[in-house]
Amino acid sequence: MTEEFKPRVARRYTGTYRPRIDGGEKARGTAEFIDDIALKRRFPDILYAKVLRSPYAHARIKNIDLSKAEKLPGVKAILTYKDPEVASLKPTNAAWTDGTNTVSYKCMMWKNFRDRRVLSDHVCWVGDEAGVVVAAESEELAEEALRLIDIEWELLPFVLDPGEAMKPGAPVIHPEITPSSNVLPPDNFAGADVILERGDVEKAFAEANVVIEVASRYSNATHAVLDHWCCLAAWEDDKVTIWSNSYEADQTRMHVSEMLEIPLNKVRVICPYVGGQHGRGDTGDQPFFIFTALLAKKTGRPVKFKHTRRESFPSGRTRELQYCEIGGKKDGIITGVYLKLIGDSGGYAGHALAALKRIPRDYAECSLGHVPSLKMESYVVYTNKLPSSCMRSIGNIQVNFIMGLALDTLAEKLGIDPIELALKNIGNKWAPLPNKSLEAILRVGARKIGWEKRHKPGDGSTYDGTKKRGIGLSFHHTWNASWQELRRGPIQAIVRVNPDGTVYLEAPTVETGPGSSSCCVFTCAETLGIRTEDVHWISTVDTETSVKDQVQTDSAVSHILPEAIHTAALDAKRQVLGLAAPELGVMPEELDINDGRIYVKAAPQKAMTIKELFWKRDLFWGGDLVPVLSSVSMALPDEVTGNPYMAAFAEVEVDTETGQVEVLKLVVLGDCGTVMHASGAEAQQIGGQCIGLGEALTEEIIYDETTGVPLNLNFIDYKVPTMADFPDIEPVLMEVWKGAGEYGACGIGESAPCCTPRAIANAVYNAIGVRIDDNPITPDKILKALGKI
Amino acid sequence: MLKGKSNSQSRVEASFGSSVTEGVIVKSSHRKIKIRVNGIWYEFEVEHDIQPWHVLSYVLREKLGFTGVKVACEAGECGACTVLMDGKTVLSCMTLAVETDGHDIVTIEYLGKHDPVVAAFAEQCEPGYGTALQCGYCTPGFVMAARSLLNENPDPTVDEIKEALAGNICRCGCYPAVVQAVLHAAEKLRTEGARK
Repeated sequence: MTEEFKPRVARRYTGTYRPRIDGGEKARGTAEFIDDIALKRRFPDILYAKVLRSPYAHARIKNIDLSKAEKLPGVKAILTYKDPEVASLKPTNAAWTDGTNTVSYKCMMWKNFRDRRVLSDHVCWVGDEAGVVVAAESEELAEEALRLIDIEWELLPFVLDPGEAMKPGAPVIHPEITPSSNVLPPDNFAGADVILERGDVEKAFAEANVVIEVASRYSNATHAVLDHWCCLAAWEDDKVTIWSNSYEADQTRMHVSEMLEIPLNKVRVICPYVGGQHGRGDTGDQPFFIFTALLAKKTGRPVKFKHTRRESFPSGRTRELQYCEIGGKKDGIITGVYLKLIGDSGGYAGHALAALKRIPRDYAECSLGHVPSLKMESYVVYTNKLPSSCMRSIGNIQVNFIMGLALDTLAEKLGIDPIELALKNIGNKWAPLPNKSLEAILRVGARKIGWEKRHKPGDGSTYDGTKKRGIGLSFHHTWNASWQELRRGPIQAIVRVNPDGTVYLEAPTVETGPGSSSCCVFTCAETLGIRTEDVHWISTVDTETSVKDQVQTDSAVSHILPEAIHTAALDAKRQVLGLAAPELGVMPEELDINDGRIYVKAAPQKAMTIKELFWKRDLFWGGDLVPVLSSVSMALPDEVTGNPYMAAFAEVEVDTETGQVEVLKLVVLGDCGTVMHASGAEAQQIGGQCIGLGEALTEEIIYDETTGVPLNLNFIDYKVPTMADFPDIEPVLMEVWKGAGEYGACGIGESAPCCTPRAIANAVYNAIGVRIDDNPITPDKILKALGKI
Repeated sequence: MLKGKSNSQSRVEASFGSSVTEGVIVKSSHRKIKIRVNGIWYEFEVEHDIQPWHVLSYVLREKLGFTGVKVACEAGECGACTVLMDGKTVLSCMTLAVETDGHDIVTIEYLGKHDPVVAAFAEQCEPGYGTALQCGYCTPGFVMAARSLLNENPDPTVDEIKEALAGNICRCGCYPAVVQAVLHAAEKLRTEGARK
């Protein structure tokens, strides 16, 4: 039975169970997405763009003959890598930023790895955008035109396995970046090969009573969002307008401005609701924005580019090979940790570098803060597979998979409960051990799952003749406190109180689903003292009229925008009370507002609504119906407050005859600092399991190892969990830690899937006594591990 | 069953092409089809207004502007494009428009905000289940599938709901809350039915 969350500080709206503000328009289908806007009905002269895709894992275009395609009626423009407007474009990268901040070309995150051209003769994976793009009167004609293009390919040797790709003599994929190897070189932002060294690991292992060694492999899932990459570009004189489902409106403006070398005020980016992103948007500096804009310019017509479902698949998690050693003493104290990771970046560099180089360093700081000796080594390698991008719980889900394995293994070897091992060792460096947040999470989780039922690996009872049950857990720090978001710079928001007491809230963020907009509205209404239905949140982000949007990366928008809105709304309230004070014959500080009614605190019957105030002033002064305006551009508090923790506890049932794993129960716990919206936060904890469960048991892009062709780019062969697959999930919201600011919350949405694959893998081990350390845990792996096939 | 607004009303939109105008149908060698969408009959000239290979989702969205119908996989794998044909669910991305000649189609736009299923999805927030939607892209498909289920089975069990809606993908993972929303909608519909 679910226990209802009770907030630490009771507030009118924040932290309560209530419907989302966008529930109505989404449930009745009136919420608009890019594909609902980029229609011929709205843009009668619209053209459709399609890009040529590589059939080979590694190749170069030697020659290209467009003559047949050009003659096809309905084809309006063809651009190739040879055209001057394309060839003159700067080399680029699809991941200029992780969305936290807007960056210029010069300062892009992976500026040492500009390995992409907008259109190139060089292709690096099967499905890579090759050097030709067509605009035609219909998508079918554009596709037909691509088929009519004669291309002479030069096939190049390719390599698919990251381990093979690291070896001397392997085909070098990007000699312009790495002349003699596929290993991405050390970089200021990413770090060196040994990303972190603390104390003396060799000595620590020598002093330990037990040293365990474990290895695992993490595969690549995909975001599988339903609203595929799409943009529409249209020019008016020298200004380009781009409608898109990027979730980085301001960054998209910067990207287009920098690549096409046109002023920022000549690029207008409009982003409506986005149908899910789960990290896809962090590779938002996609070359297709540029070639679509160029086609629109060339044809003088609006041009739409949209991925098909198949084209949308190749975007996802970084594949990793993982190795860990931990030394521990009999009393359960960890003496040292050695971690080695090899990440498969695929055909291009990008946020695999964040996943492999930066996230483990966070883990060292936020989870291994008290471990005296530590060495972390990490390599990112080019291969001829699809490029790794950012995906929900980037890097963390992988680090959790290996570290959760290592800690579980060490606990078993030392004969200690994994929870006690965690409390003796795991915590951030800013708080003492045991970490209060982690302790609270693990104790509650243990109670909820029935931790005492956990038995020795494989030792449990057998059910229905062939089924074994097991329990497992995994835990992790969260990474979205405000001090971890300082790169965002000032946070901007505007509150406009209309003379009738209604409000326009301009707190731009592309709402991709997490429900940050609801948190923004609750804060605004609560601080001002009005009803939520009187706040209109402006859902479309338009760089021409909006202040800078906050990108949903890190799930931090649900608390950082409310911090700014709280400040703006307090100021607006002060202004309203200043106007009301003389009307009610008291000082402003003697007044408060509730449900839009301004009242004297000492004599609540003395009151007037905001509308009555303005109407009265209008009658008296005449024409004074100017809205009250408050805008902020506010730096986040920079106080380093450490971070809270989260965990997943799983109970599974493994059929030893069929290899099928059924998750019986999943308890997902998160210390939120402050819960901004209880229903929304629970939706994140539950909903994140669509990815967590999927990656644990079913989701992986599979390749033909002889050609590099991905084999399962559809929802039949790539299995996303449906309602029938979902186990009983219990969400548990907690408030133990607190950050800086009015709310001092921490994002929990991105991290929701983080602990699940490892918790389930540990539960499977507990059930059958054999480890499968290679996700997803499919029936064939179980049966192999049991020696049945 | 959902009833059309008017069985007798026949309206032809003028914007499809010069050969078709309101009330006046110009003779043509092309075959015409009529589809009733959300209570209104629309007539299309095949190979002129629409092509034989056009799927229903294309016609609903591009020709009629019913963009509440979402298209995601275009292969019948995700359920986002679900609409009702004669009261039963069909995947509009897998149904040729010409196949729907003479049939009654209902999209999310017909239901409106007071529909108990729509309202239940919008309002779902009870402790322990989260919300019944997040990004909202799959929601119209879920609502239509739920509407069809409740047309046939006014008092479904949780397992029956799961079975009926397992063809719809929600990557935001709102499944438990969707089940609750359908249970609440069923209850509301039964109460309304009893009152009538």
